[in-house]
Amino acid sequence: MIEIKHLRKEFDDNTVPLKDVNLVINKGDVIAVIGPSGTGKSTLLRCINMLTEPTSGNIIVDGEDITERGCDLNEVRKKMGMVFQSFNLFGHLTVIENIMNPQITLLGKTRQAAYDRAMELLSSVGLSAKVFAYPDELSGGQQQRIAIARTLAMDPEIILFDEPTSALDPSMIGEVQSVIKLLAKTGRTMMIVTHEMDFARKVANRILFMDDGGIYEEGTPKQIFEHPQREKTRKFIQRLSSLSYRIQGIDFDVEAMNEELQGYGEKLLIESERLAKLSLALEEICINTIADYSEDPDIIATVEYAEKGDVLALHIKYKGKYFDVKGEMDSKLFASLLAESTTVYTESTVADDPEGYVNRIDMKFNWVEE
Amino acid sequence: MKKALLVILTLIMAFGVFASDITAQSIASFDGKPIGVQTAVLYEELIMDKVPKTAFQYYTMPTDMIKALTSGKISAYLIEQVGFGVHKANHPELEVLDEIPGYISASMIIGNNEKQTTLLTQLDNFIALCEADGTSAYLYEYWIEDFDPINDTCDITGFTGENGTITVAVEGGYEPFSFVSNGKLAGYDVDFICRFCRAYGYTPVFHEIPFESIAPGVETGKYDIGMNIVVSEERNETGTLTNTYYTCPVVMVVLGEEFVDVGFFEGLANSFYKTFIRENRWKMFVEGAGVTILITLTAIVFGTLLGFGIFMLIRKGNKIGNKITDFFLWLIHGMPTVLLLMILYYIVFGKSRLSGMWVSAIGFALMFGCSVIDMLRVGYNAISRGQFEASTALGYSDTQRFFKVILPQAAQHFLPIFKNEVVTLIKETSVVGYIAVLDLTKISDLVRSRTYEAFFALMMTAIMYFVIETVLTYIVKRINIKIDPKRRSQAKILKGIKEWE
Repeated sequence: MIEIKHLRKEFDDNTVPLKDVNLVINKGDVIAVIGPSGTGKSTLLRCINMLTEPTSGNIIVDGEDITERGCDLNEVRKKMGMVFQSFNLFGHLTVIENIMNPQITLLGKTRQAAYDRAMELLSSVGLSAKVFAYPDELSGGQQQRIAIARTLAMDPEIILFDEPTSALDPSMIGEVQSVIKLLAKTGRTMMIVTHEMDFARKVANRILFMDDGGIYEEGTPKQIFEHPQREKTRKFIQRLSSLSYRIQGIDFDVEAMNEELQGYGEKLLIESERLAKLSLALEEICINTIADYSEDPDIIATVEYAEKGDVLALHIKYKGKYFDVKGEMDSKLFASLLAESTTVYTESTVADDPEGYVNRIDMKFNWVEE
Repeated sequence: MKKALLVILTLIMAFGVFASDITAQSIASFDGKPIGVQTAVLYEELIMDKVPKTAFQYYTMPTDMIKALTSGKISAYLIEQVGFGVHKANHPELEVLDEIPGYISASMIIGNNEKQTTLLTQLDNFIALCEADGTSAYLYEYWIEDFDPINDTCDITGFTGENGTITVAVEGGYEPFSFVSNGKLAGYDVDFICRFCRAYGYTPVFHEIPFESIAPGVETGKYDIGMNIVVSEERNETGTLTNTYYTCPVVMVVLGEEFVDVGFFEGLANSFYKTFIRENRWKMFVEGAGVTILITLTAIVFGTLLGFGIFMLIRKGNKIGNKITDFFLWLIHGMPTVLLLMILYYIVFGKSRLSGMWVSAIGFALMFGCSVIDMLRVGYNAISRGQFEASTALGYSDTQRFFKVILPQAAQHFLPIFKNEVVTLIKETSVVGYIAVLDLTKISDLVRSRTYEAFFALMMTAIMYFVIETVLTYIVKRINIKIDPKRRSQAKILKGIKEWE
């Protein structure tokens, strides 16, 4: 359906986000584009509907090369929907007009037909009550759902999502993602640039990992997330799912650590209650026990989340004298945490750690929906 | 007791001596004190060597000099003796120094155009003829020595026009030479020209413009004849002047001690009568307001169209187009309004016969157009990139995008500025008097020059400006509300649609 050949984009400041991209998008594909920041994910997406003009290369849509001069881009764009990070609803129009007007202006529908279609879509995104609201009266999540409805009203052959949840409060990410997930199930062709790995994995049937100015590795979600073949992909996936701290000396910023932990949890959609448990364990073991009793503490704490099995784990390695954490701890909170059936606690010694850490504690936090 | 009496006596004596000495003061004794003089009449040259340290204060209208003198802003002012006669009639407290500063001779300046040579010969002949047959003496007596500001009038009819029309620049607010009486021009200069035109088969068209604009206007050929030009060496170098058509002494006016105190309310009623009722002068105010409104509306309509049109051509960021536009914005916005109007009137349209009224309309349309371009740019740039991108991605064409997405939002940003610009425009139009347009301000000047009363004329003018401003800004405000998308009713949004329950 869409074929991209040797696509290259250079910006005026001489950065080259896309060096040579080749890609075929088939009907029914749901493609998630992931990768580190600044690797041209959004640029690639924006080139597909020529919002950003490529420097060279061809984009062939239904047999027509849209990079050619004289191609009626407005006609091509009517076949491609786009959902933006910043929603971009028309600020002077009500919700219903935002969805109706493009249909009337661009598709030549009657006002009644446009209205009927708009109402149908509004109810499908769960916002029938907001017909006469203006965009600035809505939350980010609501605006993005309206923006998706506006795009759907044009009946596009493909929808391009440019980081649709990046500008949203964590509490609203879910509502937008579930609308997109529902859409994916209807067999619509979609291409989604996202930083939400869990979402990418669940919604897509193809994952593009972008780096080095192109598509670095491509595969099914299982291939990319569980068995990445190439170096950078592996590093990226690894870094995403774990978080490390080194606690050395007594001046340690607990606040900053907790904040980072919070961000990590939000990104991976880990339940806040479970994260609070981990945070408590981390603080009690490292700060209140080991660092408190040791003269020269040196601890490495790693937080990991495995999608497979839904396991949140905390690994702690420390140098020096062994502490009987479980025995010496006088925190009641920590004691009750250990007593929970969903918490697993193990201690061990490390024989040949290259950096000389000798003691090790592993904790796992499972989750049971109540 | 004796001492006190002595002091009082001395004071009374000193006062008496001072009072009787007022007119006996020498001109030289005013050295260093401010002295008023009418702009462009050059009377200051007559006494300059006697008062080398004096800073002269220049006034456009004689009335303003009287006000300045009575309020103590100047110590004396210079005026032709004829003019003083009128002043004295209205302000008995004025006195004239015994020492005569000098005499002035007035001639006419002939426009630099194809009629110049013919007119010069004809006018010089006519001046000689008038001197010979006693017409000059008659005019001098009728208008100057025996002037009656209320009843004196002249015949401004009876022209055959067989040799065409001639345009004549007169001050218009300058008794007894040119002034408006009963809604018609009258005065020595007007009478003289009318007699000339009847004798030589012309039809005169009079333009009332400020003194300082007469000579420059005539020299560019905009007018055929400029009246009442005081003869000086410098003027003779550039302008083509006729022979002298009258000579009269210049006097130095100071404040005497005699104040005639009319009762406050009586004075007010009298002033009101003079300003509005006598000669139906209120009609002049109405006409002046009409001219101000006409210029303002024309400028708004054409300025908006012009500004919008140019903005449409340059909005996509054409570099050359934007550079040219920026240059004109810089040029037009950077110039004082009155200068722009005078350049348009005397230079750009100098050779054309376009009236001051239309030149003003063009000038203000240009200025307003520049403001509109600025406003549109501000409004356009206030719209986020996202609005452009979203409409483009949906498939809107450039024109659809501009009119359906960008403009309705930009309008809400620039209409409040538009309202302010309209107010500024109305106020700015008050300078059109410089190019012979009888607008509200100029009318107020003309009436004041007749009544020698400032209060009612100025108040009336201010009130009329406020009324015009209020009405126009109200209209803009209504438009603003009318097109505010957020003020539409739900019924209007879904007009003609069968709604879902």
